[in-house]
Amino acid sequence: MLNFNNPVIDTKEYSEIRISKTEPILKMNLRGKNRDFITKIGKELSIITPVDPNTSASNEKLNLLWLSPDEWLLYSNHMIDLKDANFLDDKLFNEISKKKLGSVTNVSDHWIMINLNGKKVFELLSAGCPYNFNNFKNSKGAVTQTLFNHIDVIIHNKNVNDLNLFVRRSFSEHLFLWMNDAASRI
Amino acid sequence: MFLINCPYCGERDQSEFTAGGEAHIVRPKQPTELSDDQWAEFLFMRKNIKGVQLERWNHSHGCRKWFNMVRDTSNDRIHAVYKMGQKPPIE
Ligand SMILES: [Zn+2]
Repeated sequence: MLNFNNPVIDTKEYSEIRISKTEPILKMNLRGKNRDFITKIGKELSIITPVDPNTSASNEKLNLLWLSPDEWLLYSNHMIDLKDANFLDDKLFNEISKKKLGSVTNVSDHWIMINLNGKKVFELLSAGCPYNFNNFKNSKGAVTQTLFNHIDVIIHNKNVNDLNLFVRRSFSEHLFLWMNDAASRI
Repeated sequence: MFLINCPYCGERDQSEFTAGGEAHIVRPKQPTELSDDQWAEFLFMRKNIKGVQLERWNHSHGCRKWFNMVRDTSNDRIHAVYKMGQKPPIE
C-alpha cells in the first residue's frame, strides 16, 4: 500500500513570514521531447505548455512548471483527495504514456509542497539559496530549481510574496525545521 | 564560488553544478578488439591540462542536463558553454 502519511509540518507564523504545508496536492511529472507531446499536454490540460526556461503556466485548477527542455511538473491549485485524482492520472497515462509520446509519473508522494508567504520570504530564501532572486521576485509565474540549505527544491512564484516550494518528502521535515530557525532570526 | 551559464537555465551558482571530466572522448567502436592498455587509455587516461580545457558539466541541482564548457583551469575563466553534440566554439 502507498503511504499517504505526511511529515509533521504545521503552519508557523513569524514577522512577515508564514510557512505552511499545503497537502495533499496532486503532482505529476511529465517528460517528452517532441512537438506532438507538447501540444498533447496542452490540449489535455487546457494549458499552453511553457517552453521558455524558468517559466510556468496556470489555469484555475492546475499549474504546469518548466523544469528542463523535456520535463515539466504539474500540480493542482487546490487540495485534492488523491484517491479522487485518478481520473487525471489515467487520462494522461492513456493519452501520453500508452501512445508513446512521453512519460507520465504520479509524484504526489514524492514532493511535499510548502507555501511561503509574506514580505520577507525572499530574505528567508537568501539565508540558504545560492540563487539570485532579483528578477524572479518581480516575475509572476517564474520557476527555479535550486538548492536551499543544500537541499534540492523547486520554487514557483505564484503571486507577490507568495511562493510554493517543493521539497522531497524525506528532506521536508528537516528543511521545515531549518526554515523555522532561519525565519525566527530575520 | 563562480557563476556558470547553463545553456538551458541561464546564469547559476557553481554549487548547482557537477563537473563531469574531459569532453569529446569517443568510445571505441569495438571494445572487445582492444588490448587492456588501449581500453585503460579510454577509461582512465585524461589530459588534465593547466590552461584552456574542454569539459563536460551537469546542471545537477537545476535542469539536470549535460553540456560542455571551455574553461581555463588555471584561473577558472569560462570562455564558452555549448550543448552536447555541438562542436567546440574555439580551437
Ligand atoms: Zn540548467
